[in-house]
Amino acid sequence: MNKRWLLLWFGMAALLFTGSRWLPMPEPYVPVYPANFGNRLNIPADNPLTKEGVLLGRMLFYEPLLSANNKISCGSCHQQQRAFTDGKKFSTGIDSIPTERNSMSLANLLWVRHFFWDGRVESLEQQALTPLTALHEMGQPLDISASKLRRSQRYTALFNAAFGNSNITGDQIVHALAQFERTLISANAPYDRYLAGQYQLPPAGERGMQLFMTAPDPGKKIRGANCAHCHGSPKLYMELFHNNGLDSLPLDPGREKLTGLAADRGRFRIPTLRNIALTAPYMHDGRFSTLEEVLDHYSEHIIQSPSLSPVLRNTSNDMNGTSLKLSRSEQKDIIAFLQLLTDSTFINNPQFSNPFN
Amino acid sequence: MKYTLLLFWATILLHSSISAQSATISVTGEVAHPLQLSAADIAAMKKVTVQATDRDGKAHSYTGVPVADILQRAGVTMGAQLRGENMSKYLLIKSGDGYEVLFSLPELDAAFTDRVVILASQVDGQPLPEGKGPFRIVVPGEKKPARWIWEVTAMTIRFAKE
Repeated sequence: MNKRWLLLWFGMAALLFTGSRWLPMPEPYVPVYPANFGNRLNIPADNPLTKEGVLLGRMLFYEPLLSANNKISCGSCHQQQRAFTDGKKFSTGIDSIPTERNSMSLANLLWVRHFFWDGRVESLEQQALTPLTALHEMGQPLDISASKLRRSQRYTALFNAAFGNSNITGDQIVHALAQFERTLISANAPYDRYLAGQYQLPPAGERGMQLFMTAPDPGKKIRGANCAHCHGSPKLYMELFHNNGLDSLPLDPGREKLTGLAADRGRFRIPTLRNIALTAPYMHDGRFSTLEEVLDHYSEHIIQSPSLSPVLRNTSNDMNGTSLKLSRSEQKDIIAFLQLLTDSTFINNPQFSNPFN
Repeated sequence: MKYTLLLFWATILLHSSISAQSATISVTGEVAHPLQLSAADIAAMKKVTVQATDRDGKAHSYTGVPVADILQRAGVTMGAQLRGENMSKYLLIKSGDGYEVLFSLPELDAAFTDRVVILASQVDGQPLPEGKGPFRIVVPGEKKPARWIWEVTAMTIRFAKE
């Protein structure tokens, strides 16, 4: 009899204990996006989106304590007003040594399956490790970041709410950052509203869109810029890696460095064109400072090489041309369309802004 | 000037040394025998030639290995085994540039269709052109060549999840 009471007592105590541990469950965060973005989301099973995780991630995104000199945060090179880029060819971190590639725009990462210009990692959790710890970026090992956060009073309750404990580990830091980044959804550019039937394109934008979507065929007198072949779809990118004819012998081998395959020489991720008017300079090395220069490249200067994208080979509005050969006014029309991809609600969304300001 | 030249040659050397790898095709997933096919493995397999029209609107003859033969070799449930729950399996083919296309198994199985989808290595008796090889899927009779995925690197067999 006594034994039975003891068992019951232990049972109740265990229930209470687990109850108090699990009661403040974080609330699921449900991302909102248009149906035409599709549901092929990239969320690891061990890091579901929660409101508490996203809030913590936002604070960490703007937290300079995560850098070795306490001055740099993710937000230094990914500024909201510039669609989360920094306007520089190459970024600088805790010292004056520039990064090897141009800072990438952050938008609609929830769907992205390969990160960095060379697509070398498959989750935002893995991606975040590099800028946090790279010697010339934020330059701080994760365990030091974790211990600095433990010493700051601000974070104990936030980690507790997000992860059910306040251990504050490096893993939790990258999990929270990834959760916040997955909420950076941009879906309210004039082009999105046009697709939803709520916006009428101005004439130049409409002509630009037509060229953007059409493959040139001079034999049939069809003029086009064929941009959509790689930047099509409502999300304005495709998960592809192409060599876009910048160099015959690229200084930066791109994906070839990863795979060792000659076919990957000078191949880089096809970036999103969403908010492209805000994210100059362009290309993996920031070599073009304006959209006019970018259009000039595709129109006049595609460099032939064995790994040049087949999509850009002999794709031209001139018979036997090797570059697109667009007229000045066609280039202007395409730029007018590209400007309709700017989502001003995204860059002004207070949920994405620096909470410390 | 001297330095520029030096840098130029150093870059070439670096590039040639890291490009020693050659392309292979993996066959994995719902297979009895996962494969890693080299160009030599594929060259040793039985070839067929099919006529098909590419994006240029012209008919070409393509030579290569029937995809069904590759799946048979990997022990995928084809032929008499392609029934019951195996009817909800698919083949996802991946390109080196990240592009992916899907086929259901009956589309590739001679018990269901006379159309022979091949992994082509030649067009009109020549190796495939730069950028589209060394192996490209060719689907005879398909009006739009969007599934003629080039630079094939992986084939994965899976069950559809729902």
